[in-house]
Amino acid sequence: MKRFETTLAVDRVDLSVDEAEVRGLLGPNGAGKTTLLRLLFGLIRADAGSVELFGRPLDPSDPASLDGVSGFVEDPTFYPYLSGRANLELLAELDGPEASGRIDEVLERVELIKRAGDRVSGYSTGMRQRLGIAAALLRAPRLLLLDEPTAGLDPAGVRDVGRLVTELSSAGTAVLISSHQITEVEDVCDGFTVLRGGQVVWNGTAAELRAQAPGSAYAMRTSDDRRAIELGSRHRGISVDLGAGDGLTVTAEEASLDEFVLALGREGVAVRELELRSSPLESMFFALTAAEREQGAPLA
Amino acid sequence: MSGQTISVYRAEARKLRTQLATRVLALICVLGPFAFAGVLRIQSGSPADTLFGVWVHSTGFAVSLVVLGFAGAWGFPVIAGVLAGDIFSSEDRYGTWKTVLTRSRTRWDLFAGKVLAAATFAAGLLALTAISTLVAGAVLVGWHPLVGLGGTPLSPAHTLGLTVASWAICLLPMLAYTSLAVLFSVATRNGIIGVIGPALVALVLNLLALVGTGTWVHLLLISSAFLAWHALFTAHPYYGPLAIACVVSLLWTAAALTAAWLLLRRRDFAGTSVSRRPGWVMPVQVAVISAAVIALLAIATNWGPAGVTASRLRASITPTFNNLTLLQQQQLGRTVPAGAKLNVLPNCSRRASTPQGPGDWICTLTVFIPQPGAQPFQQTPVTYDVSVTADGCYKAESPPTFVGQQTMRDASGHSVVNPLFTIYGCFNTL
Repeated sequence: MKRFETTLAVDRVDLSVDEAEVRGLLGPNGAGKTTLLRLLFGLIRADAGSVELFGRPLDPSDPASLDGVSGFVEDPTFYPYLSGRANLELLAELDGPEASGRIDEVLERVELIKRAGDRVSGYSTGMRQRLGIAAALLRAPRLLLLDEPTAGLDPAGVRDVGRLVTELSSAGTAVLISSHQITEVEDVCDGFTVLRGGQVVWNGTAAELRAQAPGSAYAMRTSDDRRAIELGSRHRGISVDLGAGDGLTVTAEEASLDEFVLALGREGVAVRELELRSSPLESMFFALTAAEREQGAPLA
Repeated sequence: MSGQTISVYRAEARKLRTQLATRVLALICVLGPFAFAGVLRIQSGSPADTLFGVWVHSTGFAVSLVVLGFAGAWGFPVIAGVLAGDIFSSEDRYGTWKTVLTRSRTRWDLFAGKVLAAATFAAGLLALTAISTLVAGAVLVGWHPLVGLGGTPLSPAHTLGLTVASWAICLLPMLAYTSLAVLFSVATRNGIIGVIGPALVALVLNLLALVGTGTWVHLLLISSAFLAWHALFTAHPYYGPLAIACVVSLLWTAAALTAAWLLLRRRDFAGTSVSRRPGWVMPVQVAVISAAVIALLAIATNWGPAGVTASRLRASITPTFNNLTLLQQQQLGRTVPAGAKLNVLPNCSRRASTPQGPGDWICTLTVFIPQPGAQPFQQTPVTYDVSVTADGCYKAESPPTFVGQQTMRDASGHSVVNPLFTIYGCFNTL
């Protein structure tokens, strides 16, 4: 458990990541994801409870406690007046001689080798994210903890991070990725742990989450929304409500949606716009974290 | 020292090496003494207020010792601040604590490695300055004999040994200021306060050295430790204040580092969103407490026995005056028998209500010169205005009507410093 003044940031969280597993740590801003990662890295002390890594209790006074663990919390940070390579060399100095031999390899892996000589102060957010991943890989981790690793990355960068994580897990590395956007990590995660208000509200495999997911959410505009809602209430497996703005929000599996659209046509209601708003997993995520979002986010 | 600490030390040393501030400091330490000696060479004036200042045109050792005197008061605190004042707070500014603390290094490893790196660079810059001043003095002035604080010339070899020892003695108080900079850096997490903090402390300590008549608090100031080397240049070197200076420097170092470590050890690295927010209450509290401590220390400077007394000043200035008079006569080409001694009656009094303590004094040295005739002695009074500091060192100056001009022609016709115009000396205040 960890409390900041009056805010309970993490409370009774029980989380494990197996070898070769990629686990998504999900939750809206303020759910306690970053605080949990800080606890795992020993950056803050738990007010109650304990942290075990590879079966050993985490002891900040024991340098071996974090052996085999790597990653970053919040955004990766470096010395801006040094080049990317010089930053990695400094970190390799702390990690040991084996890490020094991996610098070129990890720079190649995150595609920063050509800009490695530039000062970090001139790096874009995406380049810093990639340098953060490179710094994590220097330690050849058995457990990789990544906090919002895709933040600031373009779609290609997001895809590259996903590919990298998949490669690492294939090689046996356990990966814990925190994110507040399930769409960015759903393809690479084997399991998910969803936090809300510092507590675990859902924990399971990706398959279990998909099985429980309510269906995709769509934005729809018709020639007669009231009639569409009435027709929707007669169809099984579909939910039709007035949207936040103009139009309707339809939650349904694809097959049910097809039937509903055909039914609207038969009843003379024209479908003027139909757009996917959230995938089934996103819908599930929103449902699980709805209370948190309604209450507001007390903590980043 | 563990391998983990050494690895942190190497990384920190590398960071310090690459920083612009460190490079600029090193450049100043190397070139500064040459610039100083060069300026002295093209002008006739001398920094007479500083011990050995009038001799800067006569011997390169005086250049080194004058720079040491200035560096002890202001230069070393600034160097300590620049090197160590940002070594911890920069991790806060760049947000890199979480980066380095997740590399299997304990907080102790990081603390020890950083402190060692700062201390190494501080010692390195001190050594660099020492070497530079000696080389600049040798090249631009020459290693000639130096008139010691007992009024007798010291051979170049002897002076070189004493000068090197003096710089080495200043290493301990330099490390004390470095430790203070570390404490400021850890406690405030603010690089600006960390850098200027030691200089502010030096300012306060230098001001405290000017007030009060007691010895106890004065001996406990780091600024006093920077002056302890003066005792080496007296006719009869005394080591009590020197030993106390070493112990005091070590105590300041230990206290500052212990406090810094305790603060760092219990700290949570909770990130920007939940870190303490800047406010006005804490700075005001610190300012009020600091002012109270300074006021208390100012009062406490009167505690303990008076170190500067009329009898001690008389006992010091009389033989020094005697030796310098003989030196002056030798330089003028007059024969001075070995072991010659003037018959001098000294009288010293303080120009203030309190009869003892540092400050402005007046000493009248009445010289009895034997002469044939009805009156056996000719009495020649020489009056000196004496400025005495809390460590027992003084500068005495007399109007030209008594002792002649600041410079004079020696027997060979060369212009030389009149040794009696400005007298430097020191006595033991314990």
